[in-house]
Amino acid sequence: MQVLTILAILAADPGQLFVEKVQPALKRDCLGCHGEGQTISKLDLRTREGMLKGGARGAAIVPGKARESLLYRLVLNGGAQQMPPGKHLAPDVVTALGEWIDGGAPWKEVGGGPIWNFAEADLWALRPVKKGMLRLPAGSKPVDARTLVRRVTFDLTGLPPTPPEVSAFVSDRSTDAYEKLVDRLLGSPRYGERMARYWLDVVRYADTSGYSNDFERPNAWRYRDYVIRAFNSNKPYDRFVREQIAGDELYPGDAEALIATGYLRMGPWEHTAMSVEAVTRQMFLDDVTSSVGTTFLGLTTGCARCHDHKFDPIPTADYYRLQAIFATTEFARPSLPFLAVENVAHIAGERAGMVQVRDRTKAMMDSFGDTKRPDFPPEQYEAFKVYQKHLALYGESLDRYEAKAFAVSSGPRDGETDGGGTLRYPKRVDYRAPEVHVLIGGSVEARGEAVTPGVLSAVGRYSELKAFDVPTEVAGRRAALALWITDKKNPLTPRVIANRVWQMHFGKALAADANNFGKMGAKPADAALLDQLAGYLLDHDWDLKGLHKQILMSGLYRSVDVAPRRMEAEVLRDSMLAVAGELSLEAGGPGVFPQINEEVARQPQHRMGTLAPPYFPSPERAQRNRRTIYAYQQRSMADPLVDVFNGPSLDLSCERRDSSTVPTQAFALFNSQFAHDAALAFAARLEKEAGTVEGRIVRAFELAYGRRPEAEELKLSLEHVARMTRMHVAQAPPAVKAAKPIVHGITSELTGENFTFTQMQPEVKYEANLHPSQVSAATRALADLTLTLLNSNEFLYVY
Amino acid sequence: MSTKFSRREFVMSTTVGLNPLMLAAAAGQPHHEAKAKRCIFLLMEGGPSHIDTFDPKPKLNELHMTKFQKDRTRFAAAMNTGERYYVRSPFEFRRAGKLGVEMNSLFESFSGVADDVCFYRGLKAESVNHPTALYHLNTGNQFGGDPALGSWVCYGLGSKNPNLPGFVVLPDVAYPQGGAANWSSGYLPAQFQGTPLRAQGAPVLDMAPPEGVTEQRQGANLAYLRGLNAMHQRRHEGHAELAARVESYELAFRMQKEMPQVLELEKEPAHVREMYGIGGKDKDADAFGKRCLLARRLIEAGTRFVQVVAMGWDSHDYIDKAHGARIRAIDRGIGGLIGDLKQRGLLEDTLVVWAGEFGRSPDNGIRRGAAAWGRDHNAAAMSVWMAGGGVKRGAVVGATDETGLQAVETVHPLKDFHVTLLHLLGLDDNKLRFTHAGREKQLSQVGGELIRGVMA
Repeated sequence: MQVLTILAILAADPGQLFVEKVQPALKRDCLGCHGEGQTISKLDLRTREGMLKGGARGAAIVPGKARESLLYRLVLNGGAQQMPPGKHLAPDVVTALGEWIDGGAPWKEVGGGPIWNFAEADLWALRPVKKGMLRLPAGSKPVDARTLVRRVTFDLTGLPPTPPEVSAFVSDRSTDAYEKLVDRLLGSPRYGERMARYWLDVVRYADTSGYSNDFERPNAWRYRDYVIRAFNSNKPYDRFVREQIAGDELYPGDAEALIATGYLRMGPWEHTAMSVEAVTRQMFLDDVTSSVGTTFLGLTTGCARCHDHKFDPIPTADYYRLQAIFATTEFARPSLPFLAVENVAHIAGERAGMVQVRDRTKAMMDSFGDTKRPDFPPEQYEAFKVYQKHLALYGESLDRYEAKAFAVSSGPRDGETDGGGTLRYPKRVDYRAPEVHVLIGGSVEARGEAVTPGVLSAVGRYSELKAFDVPTEVAGRRAALALWITDKKNPLTPRVIANRVWQMHFGKALAADANNFGKMGAKPADAALLDQLAGYLLDHDWDLKGLHKQILMSGLYRSVDVAPRRMEAEVLRDSMLAVAGELSLEAGGPGVFPQINEEVARQPQHRMGTLAPPYFPSPERAQRNRRTIYAYQQRSMADPLVDVFNGPSLDLSCERRDSSTVPTQAFALFNSQFAHDAALAFAARLEKEAGTVEGRIVRAFELAYGRRPEAEELKLSLEHVARMTRMHVAQAPPAVKAAKPIVHGITSELTGENFTFTQMQPEVKYEANLHPSQVSAATRALADLTLTLLNSNEFLYVY
Repeated sequence: MSTKFSRREFVMSTTVGLNPLMLAAAAGQPHHEAKAKRCIFLLMEGGPSHIDTFDPKPKLNELHMTKFQKDRTRFAAAMNTGERYYVRSPFEFRRAGKLGVEMNSLFESFSGVADDVCFYRGLKAESVNHPTALYHLNTGNQFGGDPALGSWVCYGLGSKNPNLPGFVVLPDVAYPQGGAANWSSGYLPAQFQGTPLRAQGAPVLDMAPPEGVTEQRQGANLAYLRGLNAMHQRRHEGHAELAARVESYELAFRMQKEMPQVLELEKEPAHVREMYGIGGKDKDADAFGKRCLLARRLIEAGTRFVQVVAMGWDSHDYIDKAHGARIRAIDRGIGGLIGDLKQRGLLEDTLVVWAGEFGRSPDNGIRRGAAAWGRDHNAAAMSVWMAGGGVKRGAVVGATDETGLQAVETVHPLKDFHVTLLHLLGLDDNKLRFTHAGREKQLSQVGGELIRGVMA
């Protein structure tokens, strides 16, 4: 409610009215005749002075008196002299104009000069970082060792500590026991996988492009692995940023840096016969401009696309200057040999499998004969279209096995395709840097003033980072931006990342809106502390692991004051597999296909009026059960388990996961085949690792909770197993069922009738999970216990 | 399991013991008084042709197969370039209702309820690309990821029956282009997400346990879970989320019991089923009719917003065949739905909306021989209709030009349509906001105007 009140006040602020309504209307409807190129009736409405001076008929405005202002009168009801001629401005614009004049007609120059009224508090993020001794809060009282080891292990690896890891820490009496633990975890390859998840949330990583075809981005996985490696090798953050924005320009010949530029193309993108080329290109430019602001600077630059930013000192011209930096950025998919650190172990085998499916598809297509003949039956044409679409999809997907980079280049593209659609953007011969204009209202059809590439003026105005030249040549624009963002005087960059790191450990960032450090974002709860953390990075060569360690060693982190957190979806899935003994820790490589809800896997997937092939989980168990970060991320189809546990949209930058509770989560965890399979594997593991029912229960608690059961829990658990054993002895499990053919329906565009299509199945042997019919009643009873443990609050919450 | 229940009993029996989890949602209050309390949104995916449904253009009979000139060289999609020709509608049209609204003669059942419907011909979309246009229609944002209209309505009005999802989607055989993002809750809390009810298998994903898991076994596990959670909670008093999570399991299993009752269409008398076209020879009409009847049962049981999807309107070729079959598939469903809502007194406080993502072009780049003509995408003109609470009855508002290329009278952009629909449901788009990442967001993105002409 408070926010609404603030907005209401702002709406009446004449300065805001000018920025939001008056000036856009002037540009759109007035300046064509009175200012830009011509000044009919000697009236120039481009400046406040021009308005006061007026034209042949006198002053256009009388500040404070709308009703006496000619401009207002003619716009309101000019009769024969109605302005603009033959048109009435929208009522809200007219009202705004009146209120603006009544409010004194304050002028806010677009593109220069201090234009917004800010309290100093609103500008905190733009002011220089006040470095200082890092003094972290002490916390009220230390948490017990068992809770601490679980907390820090989940925080740094996204996985539960194993029972030996727990007992080793709990029994280690040395004074540096905890520090050794933190160092070990920071050195674990699981650390990079955990940190990468947060980063990929922010940049919206996906393996597909979204929209109608949702074509694969065949080499995007190399970017995902690059991010994991960057965190694991503790790449200095400034270098990490520079590589993603301008790796190709700043570090030519460096393969990692070229892969890193895939970041610039992470947004959804598609160009089809139905899209307008200029619009598609503009979508990319808007996406990347806004993504850079959000990801690295914590500024919602996207708001300035259509109008000067309502709340932050980002004029529209700044937005388009920033965008002009990317005007010469073209998609590229250059050849780039696989690196020794990349996982290409499965590539040959997987490619052979897909080639086979593609060839079968091709053969099916050929069997239709001449589909172009006029009497070709439309009903058959639908089936032909499905194969045709499959062929296109396989064509893109096969490229994931090619040694190419999903990257960009400055100027003419390097490599032949965009990876986003079959219709290619035209190649550019004699490449010249396109001229960039402010687009009025953000529309490609309404060009305003021309702008040159540049950085955000507000940073120069309020911080110590002064003027920064961006070249106007084709190359070097992004390099300049990257250097500006990572300049040690840029106050935003270190604050933004320090704030994100804090959030990883406490669930809530110091400045709670990690993507928005502007006026409307939450102010930092402890600005001095945030600056100290940012200062630590500046003084320690942007050492992220060092920063983590500082935070983790603090009294606060080791205290009972840390709020409990429900596991994120990926942590939950990985942890279920880990305690079940099923998790495969193989790292890297093209996306794998986990076991997902079978109905979703088998449901028809619509692609441009026809059908995609169904989802087939990876046939090898070890591949299905890889960590979730390695799962193929398809924009149009999320893993329902991840989705229901608040997985973010892959199209929006996610600064922080929601963890709200909904009843469908109970269905996913209590009823899904995945949960039941994990529970059964967990039970089978317990039987291997302990000889008695009691021993197995104890082991289950140690694995799932990191502790032994209390007497009351043990009693309840023993009773439960006994009861469930009786039930299972009396009831035989269902037999394994043969897989059914996948018959899909879709409404035909050609006939308007439903049409069915039987999908091809891969000719590979599927390594099935353990099935209840393969185990004893006792194991099935134990699986009821493990299923319930995996559903319990203690398993899902990290304290 | 009880076999019969009146609406009142059903609602009473299920709102007892309102759980803390849903309290926030249930507390939603409209911003102003409005007749409509809930909404059924009939989504016609693919872009139905206004010219061949509710906005006939006799002028095209004269222009048929004459060359079409477009002044859109710089900003044309590949689809709209090359030689193009005007094409007439292959359909007959009838006049319906007191007003004599013209519509495709294939609308037999629906023409009977024309007096309860307000046809609006002035709407304009922006995108001519299916997924972006669908996202725009469903979420107010072409780029996807924002909350759907149904999510906003549930966020604003809350839930009437905590045991059922507030926002339900009844998809066609396949999902529309752009997939589940069309009913995502975006940045709104997860409970406002659209729940697709599946035609086959468990209606809600994983609502039923795997084969072989009996109710007895599930009950025993649930009891054990309660025990574990209770002991855990004693060690973590003051952690409120724990109670909500415990409650979510109870709620889930109440839903597990109640949902199947709502789905039992066989309980409906034969004459009602027939009204909706269920059981007829046309299989597509039968399937669509079932979704419409289910929509009625869901709103009766307390679901706030139901989206019924009918796909396949993207008739670039063979429009006579394709649109003909589509219209036959939906006619009884939409006619039956409005008639049935009316006879039950539910039309008074239910808003029914019929819309696709855009309209279609008067011209076509003849591809598969003249016999196979169809129409391409057109965002500058389309027809939608509304009926029920707060909507004008038996009216035509707005108009397109003589070929159906452009909307020219009472023209409004999509955001105004959104603002109007919210208004009819008692919600003010400017007040229905949610702070996300430090930004105040709303369905229309930037505010919009009411389309007053369609309001009663």
